[in-house]
Amino acid sequence: MAPADKSRRFSPMAHRDDLDAFRAEVRAWLQAIVPEGWFARSAGAPEGEYLAFQRWWFDELQKVGLATPHWPKDWGGEELTLRHQVIVSEEMVRAGAPNPDLFVISLYHLPATLFAHGSPAQRERYLKGVTERGEIWCQGFSEPNAGSDLASLRTRAERRDDIFVVNGQKVWSSFAAHADYCLLLARTDVNAPKKQAGISYFILDMKAPGVTVRRIKQMTGQSEFCEIFLDNVEIPAENLIGAENAGWMIAQSTLSAERGLIIFDLAERMHDAFQREIAAARVARPAWWEDDELRRAFVAHYGDLQALRLMIQRMLRELEANAETGASSLPPLIKVQWSELLRRHTDFWLKAGGLEAQKYSPPLTGGGHVTGNRLQDFMWSYSWTIAGGANEIIKTLIAERVLGLPR
Amino acid sequence: MSETDADIEELRASFRAVLEDAAGDIRRHVDAGAARCEPLCAKAAELGWFSLMTPEAFGGLGLGRAAAAALYEELGRVIAPLPMMGAMIATEIIAAHGDAAQKAAWLPRLAAGEGAALSASGVAPNWDDSRFAAGALTGHARELLDSDAAALLVVAAREGDAARWVLAAADGVTVETEELVDRTRGLATARFDNVQGAALTADPDIVASDVLTHASLAIACDSVGGAKAVLDLTVAYLKTREQFGKPIGSFQALKHRCAEHKVAIEAADALVQEAVAHWARNDPGVALLTPLAKALACDVYAAMATDAVQLHGGIGFTWEHVCHLYLKRAKLNQALFGGSAAHRDLAARLLLAA
Ligand SMILES: Cc1cc2nc3c(=O)[nH]c(=O)nc-3n(C[C@H](O)[C@H](O)[C@H](O)COP(=O)(O)OP(=O)(O)OC[C@H]3O[C@@H](n4cnc5c(N)ncnc54)[C@H](O)[C@@H]3O)c2cc1C
Repeated sequence: MAPADKSRRFSPMAHRDDLDAFRAEVRAWLQAIVPEGWFARSAGAPEGEYLAFQRWWFDELQKVGLATPHWPKDWGGEELTLRHQVIVSEEMVRAGAPNPDLFVISLYHLPATLFAHGSPAQRERYLKGVTERGEIWCQGFSEPNAGSDLASLRTRAERRDDIFVVNGQKVWSSFAAHADYCLLLARTDVNAPKKQAGISYFILDMKAPGVTVRRIKQMTGQSEFCEIFLDNVEIPAENLIGAENAGWMIAQSTLSAERGLIIFDLAERMHDAFQREIAAARVARPAWWEDDELRRAFVAHYGDLQALRLMIQRMLRELEANAETGASSLPPLIKVQWSELLRRHTDFWLKAGGLEAQKYSPPLTGGGHVTGNRLQDFMWSYSWTIAGGANEIIKTLIAERVLGLPR
Repeated sequence: MSETDADIEELRASFRAVLEDAAGDIRRHVDAGAARCEPLCAKAAELGWFSLMTPEAFGGLGLGRAAAAALYEELGRVIAPLPMMGAMIATEIIAAHGDAAQKAAWLPRLAAGEGAALSASGVAPNWDDSRFAAGALTGHARELLDSDAAALLVVAAREGDAARWVLAAADGVTVETEELVDRTRGLATARFDNVQGAALTADPDIVASDVLTHASLAIACDSVGGAKAVLDLTVAYLKTREQFGKPIGSFQALKHRCAEHKVAIEAADALVQEAVAHWARNDPGVALLTPLAKALACDVYAAMATDAVQLHGGIGFTWEHVCHLYLKRAKLNQALFGGSAAHRDLAARLLLAA
C-alpha cells in the first residue's frame, strides 16, 4: 500500500454520496491518523496518558465528522445511513483504531435520552457540548440498594422554587471520575402510588458543590467505575429532563441505547479478532485447532457471532425504517446474545491458552473486549452480563414484553 | 429466479394456509404410521409444490431457491411428512448437471410429485457402497431419504476409481425401508443387482457439494420453522396452564428458559436467512455459511424441542400431544447429512482454506 499522506486534509463527508469513495477516504484518513503501536503502548499506561489519548482520538474523530456520525444533523451529527455506518465501523476495525470508550455515555446514552425527551435548550447546550467541547458524561442510576430493582432508588431531589436539592448516593458509575456531567435519576415524589411514578431525570453538573466522587477498584485492577455522593447538591430546575416524575419512562430510552447500537461496533471488533486468529492459524496451526472440542467450540462461536452481526443488521434496518424509539424488539435479544457469546468466547481463550493465559499482563483500555489479554478479556465480559440491566433481568423482560408471558 | 421479498412472503403465506389445514392429516399419518401422508402429498402435487424449482421448460414453476427455503421452513413448522427434500434436490442437480435425455426423462416426473431418494448418511457421499459399470449398478445405497414411493434413486457410486452420480429408476429395485422413531420421515436401503442407470457427466464433487448445500439448508430452514412453532406452542401453554394459583408462565425459572430459546432461535434464523440469501444468488459465501447455519439451527431446534417436553410436564410426555413429534424431528434433523460436529469440522476446514 502507498505510504499515507499525513499532510493532506481528509474529508470523508465530502464523499458521502459515493460509498466507495467514502470508504476510501475513511481508510486513507485512518491510515494517516492511527498511531502505529498505540495498542502496545496503551497497555498498562498511566491514567493521564490514557485520558489524553482518548481526548486526542475523540478530537480527531470529531474533525472529520466521525465522532457522531449516527446523530441527526440538527444536533451536530452527520446523520449517516446504516450502510455508511457499517463502512465506518469496518474501516475502524480494519485499521485497528482505538474505541472512544471514555465517551460512550456522551455518544449513545445522552443523545438517546435528549433526542426524545430533552428540551430544545438542553439539546442545544449539551449535545453541542459533546460535539464542540468533547464533554464527558456518566450515568448515575444504580445505588447501593437499587440495582436490578432500580425503581426503588432513594436518592432524593426536593424542589425549592427553581432549584432541586439532591441528597443521596450513586454507585458503579462508569467514568464518573472524569465526567463533566451525569445523567441522574432521583426521587422527587416519595408518596407516589407506584415507586416508578416518583422518579425524575436530571442533568447533574459534576463540578457542583456537594458532589464527591470516590473510585472503586474493580476485579480487573482498574478503577473505571465510582461511587458518587450527593450532599445538598443544587440542580437548577431547567436541568430536569422531561416532566417532573416522568424519569422512569425516560430512563428506558437511555437503557435501550446500551442494548443495540454500542454492540454493533464491538461485534465488528470481535469479528476482526476472529479473522486475525484464523489468518494466524493458516500460517501455523495452534495446538487447540487439533483438539476436536476446542476447534468445534471456536467454530460454534464464529457461527454465533455471524448470527449476532446479522441480528444487529436486522435491528438497524428496523430502526431505520421506523425511527421511533422502541420500534425493534431485537435490542434485548442482542444484548443477551452478545454478552453470553462474549463470556463463552473469552472463556474459550482461557481454555485454549492454558497457563500462558493466566500470566499477568497489563490491561488495555480502549481496545474493545477481545484484546488478546485473555484473563482481562474474560473478566470484562461481566461488564456486559451485569451492567445496563443484568441478563436475568433482561431475560424476564424478553419473556414478558416479547413473548407476552404473564408477570 | 428473481422473486422479491414480497413475492416470497406471499408464497410463504400460501404454503402456511395449506399446511395449517393439513394438521389433522399429519396427525393421522403419524398415528397410523403410514408410509406417505397421501392427502397432503396429493395436495402438494396439485398445487405444484414439487415443481417449485423445475424450470418452466419442463413444466415447472421455475422459482428460485429463496422460494424453496420458504417452503422448507413452513414444512418444518407443521412437521410435514412430505418427501420434498429428495425431490427438490434431485430436480436441482438434474436441471443443473444433467444432459438433455436425463432432464427430459426425470424433470417432468419429479415435477408431478413422483419423488426421488438419496442418501442422507453424512456430509460426504459413500462412493464405495455401489459400483457402476457398463451402465449398470451393483451393490447398495444406505440411508436413503424420501424413498417411499420414490420413482428415482440418486446414487453415489464408483466407476473404476472414479466417483459417479448415477440416476436409476426405482422400479424393480429392492428397497428396504427402515422405520424411524420420527414417523414424518423414513430411511431405506436399496440393493442393486445390475440395475440400469445413467451417470451425470458433471464433476461429482461439485454435484456432491450442491447436494450437501441444498440438504443442509433445507434442514436448517425446517429446524428454524419447527423451533419457532414449538416455542410458540410452549409459550401459549405457559400462559394458560395454572399451578399454585397462577399461570406457570409467571414463574421466572420458566420465563428465562423461554427467553433464552427466543434469543437462540432469532440468532439461528438470522444466520439461516443469510445463508439462504447467499444460496439464492449463488454467492460463493454460501459454502461457509451453510455448515454454520445447519449446525446452529439443528442444535437450537433440538434444545428448544427437548425443553418443550419438560415445560409441558406430563402432557408433554404423551403420545397424544404434539411435543414429541417436534422432538423426534429435531433429533433426526441433527443427524441427517452429518451431525453438528461434522458440519463444524467442515466449516473449520473452509475457514483455514479461504
Ligand atoms: C462494569 C460495570 C459498569 C457499570 N456502569 C454503571 C453506570 O455507569 N451507571 C450505573 O448507574 N450503573 C452502572 N453499573 C451498575 C449495573 O447497572 C448494576 O450492577 C446492575 O443493574 C445490577 O445491579 P446490582 O449490582 O445491584 O445487582 P443486584 O440487583 O443485587 O443483582 C444480583 C444478582 O441477582 C439477580 N437478580 C436481581 N433481581 C432479580 C430478579 N428480580 N430476578 C432474577 N434475578 C435477579 C441479578 O441478575 C444478579 O445476578 C455498572 C455495573 C458494572 C458491572
